[in-house]
Amino acid sequence: MKTTLASGVQTGIHARRDVLRIAAVSAVGLALSGRAPAASQNAFAGGAGSGPLQSAGVLAFGPDNVLFVGDIRGAAVHAFALRATDLTSQTEVELGNFHNFEGRDLVRGLDQKLAALFGTTYDKIVIHDMVVHQPSQQIFISVERGRSTDALPAIVKVNHGQLEVLELNGIPHSQVGIPNEPDSRAMLEFDTQRSFAITDVKYYNGEIFVTGVSNQQFASTLHRIPYPFSAQMTTCTVEIWHPVHGEFETRAPIIRQLIREVRGEPYLFAVYGCTPLVRFPLASLKDRAHVRGDVIGELGYGSNPIDMLTFTDPFDQKEYLLVTIDVRSASRIAVSDLGTATPEPTGGQIDFGPGGLGKTQGLLPIRAEHTAILNPKWAVVIQRHPKTGYRLDISSLAAPYFFERRDGMSEMNWPDGPDPFHYREHRDEISRGG
Amino acid sequence: MAAGFTLSAADRERSANAQVTNQPSLKVDFNPRQPESVGVGVYNLDPDFVVSLSRYTQAGGLLTSILRVTVVRTGAPIGDNLPDVFGRYEVLGDGVRFDPHFPFERGLSYRASFDPRPFGRPELSEVLTLEFSLPREQNALPPEVNRIFPSSDYLPENLLRFYVCFSNSMQSGRVEAEISLLGPDGKPAADVLYRAPVELWDRSMQHLTILLDPGRLKRGVGPNRELGPPLKVGREYTLVVGSGMVDLSGRRLRETFYKRFRVTEAVRKRIAVEQWKIVPPAAKSCKPLVLMFPEPLDWALLSPTITIGSTDEPSVYGRIVVDQCERRWSFTPALPWAAGSYDVRVASSLEDVCGNGVIAAFDRSLQSGSDAYEVARRSIPFRLV
Repeated sequence: MKTTLASGVQTGIHARRDVLRIAAVSAVGLALSGRAPAASQNAFAGGAGSGPLQSAGVLAFGPDNVLFVGDIRGAAVHAFALRATDLTSQTEVELGNFHNFEGRDLVRGLDQKLAALFGTTYDKIVIHDMVVHQPSQQIFISVERGRSTDALPAIVKVNHGQLEVLELNGIPHSQVGIPNEPDSRAMLEFDTQRSFAITDVKYYNGEIFVTGVSNQQFASTLHRIPYPFSAQMTTCTVEIWHPVHGEFETRAPIIRQLIREVRGEPYLFAVYGCTPLVRFPLASLKDRAHVRGDVIGELGYGSNPIDMLTFTDPFDQKEYLLVTIDVRSASRIAVSDLGTATPEPTGGQIDFGPGGLGKTQGLLPIRAEHTAILNPKWAVVIQRHPKTGYRLDISSLAAPYFFERRDGMSEMNWPDGPDPFHYREHRDEISRGG
Repeated sequence: MAAGFTLSAADRERSANAQVTNQPSLKVDFNPRQPESVGVGVYNLDPDFVVSLSRYTQAGGLLTSILRVTVVRTGAPIGDNLPDVFGRYEVLGDGVRFDPHFPFERGLSYRASFDPRPFGRPELSEVLTLEFSLPREQNALPPEVNRIFPSSDYLPENLLRFYVCFSNSMQSGRVEAEISLLGPDGKPAADVLYRAPVELWDRSMQHLTILLDPGRLKRGVGPNRELGPPLKVGREYTLVVGSGMVDLSGRRLRETFYKRFRVTEAVRKRIAVEQWKIVPPAAKSCKPLVLMFPEPLDWALLSPTITIGSTDEPSVYGRIVVDQCERRWSFTPALPWAAGSYDVRVASSLEDVCGNGVIAAFDRSLQSGSDAYEVARRSIPFRLV
């Protein structure tokens, strides 16, 4: 938003200031009835700014600019077919110096700016997910104002460093309900409703895959739904052998997932809490099936995964899986190994890991709350600024090391320090998107 | 909220003056087309000026720099470099109005300003500002914990979950900091509660599910061997719900809530429906049908997973009461019981407080053989004559 006259309020010649208290009594409404609008800006059709969303959680892009939004409160996944006018190319945005591992802060104080935009204080802002629209390199964020039944969801996009609200009304939309209300005609004396907390949504080849956890049943359920949406839905329960726990983990929920073809065969890869990496052949995920996945890696105990994505290393051109983890370094594993890795033996002794592909995982210094791949050279992260913890920023981060030199305390950052990586020679090589 | 509102006396006076002097006035009011939506408008503008505003917007000019609304005290450490409140603008017959994208928040102060100076009209050289806030809703009481399930003061060693029921709708984001389990020594027991990827609230935000770490519940598994089960038989523990839990309007719990309980032997068997006691009602009465369970069952799942069906009716409508520490389930039909054959039907998703299901126990070896999926009994027939 433009704020070109920022000084207006403070410097007003004789600014009038009243504190108006509004009481809920009837009267003045009638006096307004004669005013007809002559023109409007930023028009949205409905009164509520959230369009069909009741909440805004995980995000994913499908083909044809379709943005999927997981809606826990609405027990649905929404598909918004974004129009050309909903997207703005960001390929000219300065991302930093790739050679020198210097990213840029694309938005500083994200939560505070969102609070100002939505007319609240920043403790009431909850950022759920971030996704990049690859063709335009535009960043989309799911946000809620409020943390209770008053929570209002929005999708916000970043346009050249400015935050813009995606006007949902008017965007071609469809949705599919995630079954979570049991069919019962009886009532409890006082009721708690079942809710299915959607942990991830991913699109692959005409279908979306939805994982989550219920507040009542501790079960691992996976929904496979055709897109465009139809009444057809495949629901199965999944279980795994979890070497850290030395047991079949029959109920633990999948936290993050992605679908990739390995040697022409599609697989769903999933990460769980505490942090097994599991492989399911897509063909095995049939309706009402109870499927056992192969654990192919133990990324380390005592932690929860945050994001799961793939990127291509700009140096060796190989594709890698990246799993960011809350209390540990992020994990990097070659995608080519995912399909061929031998499953961890079942029935074995407890192994606190790392195990399987976890033994050969690369460790990356990502401590972001959300991570997405922007283009072959750059990722984008939402993270607390390391030296000023009060600031939540959106920043670019150079692949494939995901290392930010500005944050380091290295002698080579000093003006007259050693320069083994020739940072100074490349000082002026600023890269943009595209 | 009522359909309209009155302004304060001062504002009414100013509004009357404005009409006399025909000066522009900045007001907070309801959107006439959306009576629930409160916005900000500038009225009494010269018609000529309104025409130029219309032309300005038609030519792509933005009203965002003319009529602005900001939060007065954002508490934002990054300072003033913040956007204005986002919303929609309308040019009206004698003014312009702004409606926020999301409704103004009650209890928060906003500042509206109208700055017509860029239009360079000598009679409009004054910046109008207005601070306003909508009153908080007054009536509700501070939140309390009404109940915690399971209700019993004796809970099995392999308890899987608690439900915390609050009197008000609560705010999310504080569970990890505010809810803990104190061990027998009165100190918080580490790594006992499961850190769910998403806080597990129901839609009313009044019921919260707290899971104990399933990794420590399962015998012989890594965390269980390393750290032992989360609870130990014979010891006393306390689930603490800290007063820092806040409700929808930001009020803290009236007081910290403690649920003390003693740990009993683990329950590691499936729910044996065949061992339930059934007390059928008399036909043509409205008396409840009562089921008694040998072990307490999961409070939340007891409602949706047990239904009564008959040959004529797939599901009888009625009201459920669960009591006696979740060991008794009573169903009172909406209409008197008709004579005939009925079934108590139990969905496979029913669990006891340890997560044991109708089909199998939660903590069981899958290595030793197949589960008796087909043999589990899932219905109890009864006949009313």
